[in-house]
Amino acid sequence: MILPFTSADWSAILPIEVLAATALLVLLADLFTGSRERPYVSICLALAGTIATAVLAAGQFGHDYAAFAGGFMTGGFTTVFEEIVLVAVAGSVILYAAVGPRPAVAGSTAIMLWSACGAMLMAGAANLMTIFLGLELLSLGLYALCAAAQRKTAREAALKYLILSSTATGFLLFGMALLFGATGSVALAALVSPSLAANPLFWMGAGMFLIGIVFKLSLVPFHTWTPDVFQGAPLPVTAFMSVATKAATLAVFARFTYAAMPPGIGERLLLPVWIVAGISMIAGNVGMLAQHDLKRLLGYSGIAQVGYILTALAGGTPLGLRYALYYLAAYALMNLGAFAVIAALSGEDEEGAELHAYRGLARRRPYLAAAMTVFLLALAGLPPTAGFLGKILILSTALSTGFVWLAALLIVGTAISLYAYAKVVRAMYGAPEDPQAPGVRPFVPLAWASVAICAVGVVVMALYPLTPSNILPLVR
Amino acid sequence: MPIVLVTILLPLVAGALLFALPREDRTVSRAVGTLVAAATFFTVLAAGDAQWSLRWLSRPFESAFHFGATPVSYWLALLLALATACAIASARIGRTRDFVAQMLLLEGTMLGLFLARDLLVFALFWDLMLLPVFFVLVGWSDHPATAWRYFTYNFAGGLTLLLATAAFGVIYGSTDVIGRPDVHLIGGWAPWIFIGFAFAFLVKTPLWPLHTWMPPTYAGLPAPMVAVVSAVQSKAGLYGLIAVASAMLPEQVHAYSGILIGLGAVSLLYGAVVALVQNDAKRIVAYSSLSHLGLIVIAIASGNAFALQGAVVYIVAHGLFSAALFLALGFVEDREGTRSLVRLGGLGLRNPRLAGALCIAALAALGLPGLAGFAGELIILIGVYQAGYVWVAIVALVAIVLASAYMLRLYQDLMNGPPRDDAPVRPDLTWVEALAIAPLLAALLLAGVYPKPLLQAPATAVSAQVGETP
Repeated sequence: MILPFTSADWSAILPIEVLAATALLVLLADLFTGSRERPYVSICLALAGTIATAVLAAGQFGHDYAAFAGGFMTGGFTTVFEEIVLVAVAGSVILYAAVGPRPAVAGSTAIMLWSACGAMLMAGAANLMTIFLGLELLSLGLYALCAAAQRKTAREAALKYLILSSTATGFLLFGMALLFGATGSVALAALVSPSLAANPLFWMGAGMFLIGIVFKLSLVPFHTWTPDVFQGAPLPVTAFMSVATKAATLAVFARFTYAAMPPGIGERLLLPVWIVAGISMIAGNVGMLAQHDLKRLLGYSGIAQVGYILTALAGGTPLGLRYALYYLAAYALMNLGAFAVIAALSGEDEEGAELHAYRGLARRRPYLAAAMTVFLLALAGLPPTAGFLGKILILSTALSTGFVWLAALLIVGTAISLYAYAKVVRAMYGAPEDPQAPGVRPFVPLAWASVAICAVGVVVMALYPLTPSNILPLVR
Repeated sequence: MPIVLVTILLPLVAGALLFALPREDRTVSRAVGTLVAAATFFTVLAAGDAQWSLRWLSRPFESAFHFGATPVSYWLALLLALATACAIASARIGRTRDFVAQMLLLEGTMLGLFLARDLLVFALFWDLMLLPVFFVLVGWSDHPATAWRYFTYNFAGGLTLLLATAAFGVIYGSTDVIGRPDVHLIGGWAPWIFIGFAFAFLVKTPLWPLHTWMPPTYAGLPAPMVAVVSAVQSKAGLYGLIAVASAMLPEQVHAYSGILIGLGAVSLLYGAVVALVQNDAKRIVAYSSLSHLGLIVIAIASGNAFALQGAVVYIVAHGLFSAALFLALGFVEDREGTRSLVRLGGLGLRNPRLAGALCIAALAALGLPGLAGFAGELIILIGVYQAGYVWVAIVALVAIVLASAYMLRLYQDLMNGPPRDDAPVRPDLTWVEALAIAPLLAALLLAGVYPKPLLQAPATAVSAQVGETP
C-alpha cells in the first residue's frame, strides 16, 4: 500500500526529524572522540540540535496544519508544548556535565533525545494512534534511562517505572480501543459527535483513557511511584521526566478535554479528574514535608504542581489553557533550575540531592544559594517569581469559572508546601555548616549557566507575562 | 527615572550590591546603609504625591506596577525611611554586611508595599517584605523555631490576601485601585473578600488571638531589625485596613465592626496585663505593641472620621516610640548581655544618656502630653467616644493606665535603684549611637507639640474614604 503522504506532512514533523537525527549524530560523534572530552562533545551536539529544533518548531507557530490525515496537528498549541519539551531536554542533557555515568553519556543523551521526540509527537497528536506512538516512544526511552545509573536504587526505579507505567499504558490502550469501538475512527475530532453522550462504550473508553492519563500525570491515587522513581533515576533523567513527561501528557489531556468531547458532558466526565487534582494538591504537598532527599521532595512537589495546572484547565476556557501553559513553562524553568543546582553540588554519587548538603551553602556558594532560593520561592508561588504570577492567574481563572473549591484547595496546599520549601532555604541560610557535608564541588560551567538562565527566566517571566494567544484550534 | 521608582529601587539595588563588599566589612556597609535609608527619606519627601505606572496585566484583570504615596502612606514611608536609617546606624551585630543588606531589602520591599497603588502589587510586596525578616530570624536568632512561627502565620495571611486579591480582580476587573475614592465593592462575594483581607491584616498587626507569633519574633530578632518591624511592618496591616478594607469595603468593615472592636479591646487589655508581668524587656515592649495596636484597630473599625485621623497620628507615634524603645533596649543588651529585668538594675547612674533616651521613649509610650503618643491617643478616644462606643473608651482608659505601670516598671527596673555590685562598668552611649536614636526622639517631640500636618494630610484621604466629616 502506498501511503498518501505529501512532503507537507513530512515537513510538519521536521522538528522531530531533526531532533532524532541529532541523536544519531551524537552516537556517531562519540565514536571519534577521546574519552576526556567525550561528555562535552555529546552535550554540546545535543544542545545545538535542540536549539535548531526549537527554531524550526517556533517557525510553525500559527501555521495550523493537520498532517498525516489528521494524525498530527501543527500550530500554536503544539509549538508551545514542543518548546517546553525542548527546554526540558536542554536543561536535562546539560546536567550530564556534572553528574551521571561518564562513559555512557553519549548513549544516554541519544536516548533522551529520542524520548523527547516521543514527547513532541504527543504534543501534536490529534488521533489516538499518534498519542500511543508518542507515548511509547517517550516511555521506552525512559525505562532504559532510569536503569542507566550504577546504583541498586536505579534498577529498582527502572523496574517500578516499567511495571507501573505499562499498567497505565494498558488502561490507556484499552480506553482507546473502546473509544474506537464507539466512533469507528481513531481521530480525536470524531469524538465531538453529540450522539456519543449516550453511548456506554464512549463513557467506559473515556474513563479508562483518563485513568491512564491520571496515572501518567502521577496524580493521587496513582502517585506513589513518582517519588521512588525520581529518587532512583539518574539526576538528568529525573529532571527530564519531571518536566517533559508531564508536559506531553498534559498536552494530550488538554487536547482531549478542549477539543475531543461530545458537547455538554465535560462537566460530568471530568469532575473526577478535578477532584483528583484537588486531592493531589494537598497530598503532594503533605508528602513533601517529611522528605530529606531533594529529588523525592521535587517528586512530591510535581504531584501538587500538576494539580495547580489542572486547576487552570478546569473551567475549560481558552484563557485557562493559556494560563496553564504559562504556569507549565514557568514550572519547567523553576524545576530545571532546581535540578541544575542539585547537579552543581553533585558528583557521580549525586550527593547534592541530600538535604544536609545544603547546610551553610549560603556561605560556601552564595550565588548558588541565592538561585536555589529563587527556584524554591517560585515553586512555593512567592514573589518575585513567575510562580507567584502563575498562581494569581490560575486562582483568577478558577474563581471566575466557579471552581472556588479548587482555588481554596490550591491555597491550602500552597500553605502546606511553604514549610517544605522553607526547610531547604533555612538549611542554606541558617544552619551552621555540616562537617559531614561534601566539600565544595568543582565549578561546572554548563550546570552553572543552566542555573543562571533559569533563575533569570523565572524572574523575567513574572515581569513580562507573555501568554501565547493563538493556540486554538486543537483539532481539525 | 521617576523619583517614586528611585525611592523603591534605591534600597533594593543598594541592598543587593552590598553583597559585593568584602564579607567581613563593618563600617562601609553600615555607612552605605544609613546613607541610602536617609536618602530614601528625602526622595519620599521630594516625590510627594507623584505617581508612576507601568502596565503589568491586562487579563484576567487589569493590573499595573503603579506607585505613588497616598496621604496616609506618605507618612508611613517617611517613618520607615527614618526608622531604617536610625536602626542601621546603630547596628552592632555579627556579619554586619549581610545584616545591613537584609535591612535595606526590608526597607525597599516595604516602601514598595506602602507606595503601591495596585492591589496585586501590594500583595506581591506583602509576601516580599516577609522574606528579609525570615532570613534574619533564620540566620541571626538564637531560636530558629521562631522563624517557623513567623513564617507560618504571616505567609498564611499572605495567601488569603492573594486569594482575596484574585477574587477582587475577577469581580472588579482591575486591581489598580488603591487610593481611588470611587472604588467600591458590593455583592455576595464582598464578605468573603473582606475576610481574606482582614485575616492577613490582623495577623500582621497582630490582633489577639492571632498574635502568638509576635512576642517570640520580636524577642528573637536583633534590635535594629525589630525596631523597624515593630515600628513599620506591623503597620502594614493597619494601612491595609485603612487603604484597602475601609476604602473599598466600607459596608463590610461596618458589618464586622463589632468583632473587630471586640478583638481590639481584648488585645488592648490582654497586651497591657501580660506586659505587666513579663521580665524580658523586649517582650514587655512587644506586648505593649499588641495593646497599642489594638487601640488603633478599634479606631479604624469605629468608622468615625475623627478616630481615623487619630489612628494615623498614633500609627506614626507608635512607630517612633517603639523604634526608639527597641533601639534603646538593644543598646542595653549590647552592653550587659541580657535584657532580663531581674538581672539588671541601676544602669542609669553610669549611663545617663542611655537612661535619658529610654526615658523619653517610655514616656511617649505611656502617653505623656507633649509627646506624640498623647496626641494620637486623645484623638482616638474622643473619636471612639463620639462614635458611641463608650465602654470601649473606658477599656482603653484602663489600658492606658496600665501602660503607665508597665512602662515605668520597665524603666525603673533597668535604670533606677542601686547599681549591681558585681556588674562591670560599661561605657555610656557612643556618639554614633546617640545620634542614631536622637532623630526618633526629636520626631516624637515634634509630632507631640505640632501634630497638625499629620492630622491635616490624612484628613483629606480619610474623609473621602468614610464619606463624612467630623
